Amino acid sequence: MKINSTYYRTTDDSTLWNNLKKGDEKAFSLLFEKYYEHLIRYGNSFSPHAEKVQDCIQDVFADLWLYKNSLNENANVKAYLLSSVRNRIARLQERDHIFRNTTSTDSIQFLFDFSIEHQLIIDENTADKVQQLNKYINLLPSRQKEALYLRYHQGLSVEEIADMLDVNYQSANNLLHRALLNLRKEWNTTIPLLVLLSPGIL
Amino acid sequence: MQKRNNYTEIEDFLTDESFQSWVHNNADLENWEEWTLENSMRAKLVEEARLWILAMKVPENNLSSSALQTALVATWSKIEKNENTQKKEIKLWNNNWLRSVAAVLVFGLLASWTYSHLFIPNNSTEIYNKLVNDEGLVEQTNNSNNPQIITLSDGSSVLLQPDSKLSYPKIFVGNERKVYLSGEAFFEISKNRKKPFFVFANEIVTKVVGTSFRIRAYDNQPDIEVLVRTGKVKIQSNKSIPNSKKEEIVLLPNQALRFVRKNSTFNKITDITKDESLVNATNNIEQLSFDFTDIPVSQIFKTIEQAYLVDIDFPESKLKNCHLTTSLNDQPLPQKLKIICKSLGNNTSYEMNGNQIIITSDGCN
Repeated sequence: MKINSTYYRTTDDSTLWNNLKKGDEKAFSLLFEKYYEHLIRYGNSFSPHAEKVQDCIQDVFADLWLYKNSLNENANVKAYLLSSVRNRIARLQERDHIFRNTTSTDSIQFLFDFSIEHQLIIDENTADKVQQLNKYINLLPSRQKEALYLRYHQGLSVEEIADMLDVNYQSANNLLHRALLNLRKEWNTTIPLLVLLSPGIL
Repeated sequence: MQKRNNYTEIEDFLTDESFQSWVHNNADLENWEEWTLENSMRAKLVEEARLWILAMKVPENNLSSSALQTALVATWSKIEKNENTQKKEIKLWNNNWLRSVAAVLVFGLLASWTYSHLFIPNNSTEIYNKLVNDEGLVEQTNNSNNPQIITLSDGSSVLLQPDSKLSYPKIFVGNERKVYLSGEAFFEISKNRKKPFFVFANEIVTKVVGTSFRIRAYDNQPDIEVLVRTGKVKIQSNKSIPNSKKEEIVLLPNQALRFVRKNSTFNKITDITKDESLVNATNNIEQLSFDFTDIPVSQIFKTIEQAYLVDIDFPESKLKNCHLTTSLNDQPLPQKLKIICKSLGNNTSYEMNGNQIIITSDGCN
């Protein structure tokens, strides 16, 4: 199952990407305009220093242009950019030496909190449930939250998430599953009235 | 839409774009509502998935388009800055050293003038042969179709183009470094202010202290071109050539010179981008930037491979997580490799055999 982002079609991305590789400044600018805000939001979830995050993301794009000759032709542009931003911020946070082993996966924390779609909720019952669920989601370990964010908001595949978080496929899958399953367990025991699923389905 | 009939977990719904859009915008293009009501277990699953989406909101973007444009402009100027870093470094260098260097050069020129008056003019057009025969030198000819890398005893590197030859002493002795070129080559000269570096190419002599530049001086072509990438280069006619002029031309980065052999005139080209023949002749090495900020070392090796057309063999898995921030512009190839190896740690070294480079390493610090 191929998942595209909600807002943009990836088919356009690969054309822009390959044009950028050929030195097309317009393609570069279009990709920049398309992803800059996404990346800012993602970057801000790791660091409270908004200006540094902006700087990092601009550096990521600058490198994209400077090293365009060696970009992989078939890259998923979004995954590539998200991952570059993540790595860059991780390294910036640890930088002191010229060289270091990337232990980025553990060095930065996904601090983002999900919010609630208030305007889509009409009845009080739903509002209560959603509020509870939102609270539990935001209490998840940061890596699980990040996995959820990348999977359901950025539409990355499990493989791409595994790559980004530097874990194997199974672990990435577990991150996602654990997030969903543990939460459901917790949720169910806390508020038995909200048991929505018969165990048979799982 | 048959695939949704196999959905058994919330996850399946959360990644379904059509489902998301139904929850978010109430846009039920695929009859989710009807499908949900077909089956009560399904309905529960759908309801839970819906709650998940409602509880996992990510705020909408609110960056203004002018802020976006400002960011884009800032990024382009970062790119430009990166491409021009080398120029800035040179400016600084000049500020500090220009005066003393100039004094030394004036002195040197006076001396060389006195010397040149003792020279007896010679009518040979095979200037290269004459120049080379005077001294016992190593001659390297590139008969292949690809550029060839030559490393000189002072650590300078020369990328010799096909159908070109370079003569140079095995070891530079004395207070000068002199090489002789016929054809085209890109030079990256290791800095040594005490021993200026001279390239003799047909009728002209190019003098540098430590820079990178390209010379194109084929015997069978009507003119000679010198194009400077970094540092400062001085060019004058070879005094041993009859009717040579006293003129001396100074070139700064991204300036070039065309010497018309027929009438021994110098044409300085200050905007190389407007000169088609120069633009077309630009090689890989002159286009690539060696300014690296947090770049995987494998990428750095790749850049070097492209620039010098060499093969680099390195332990990929051991260096997988190594990143480097450094500026290697203006450094000859051996120096580039040395800096990289040193930064990687004590157990890293390189070996160079022709165009084959082997890196041995236990990984980075």
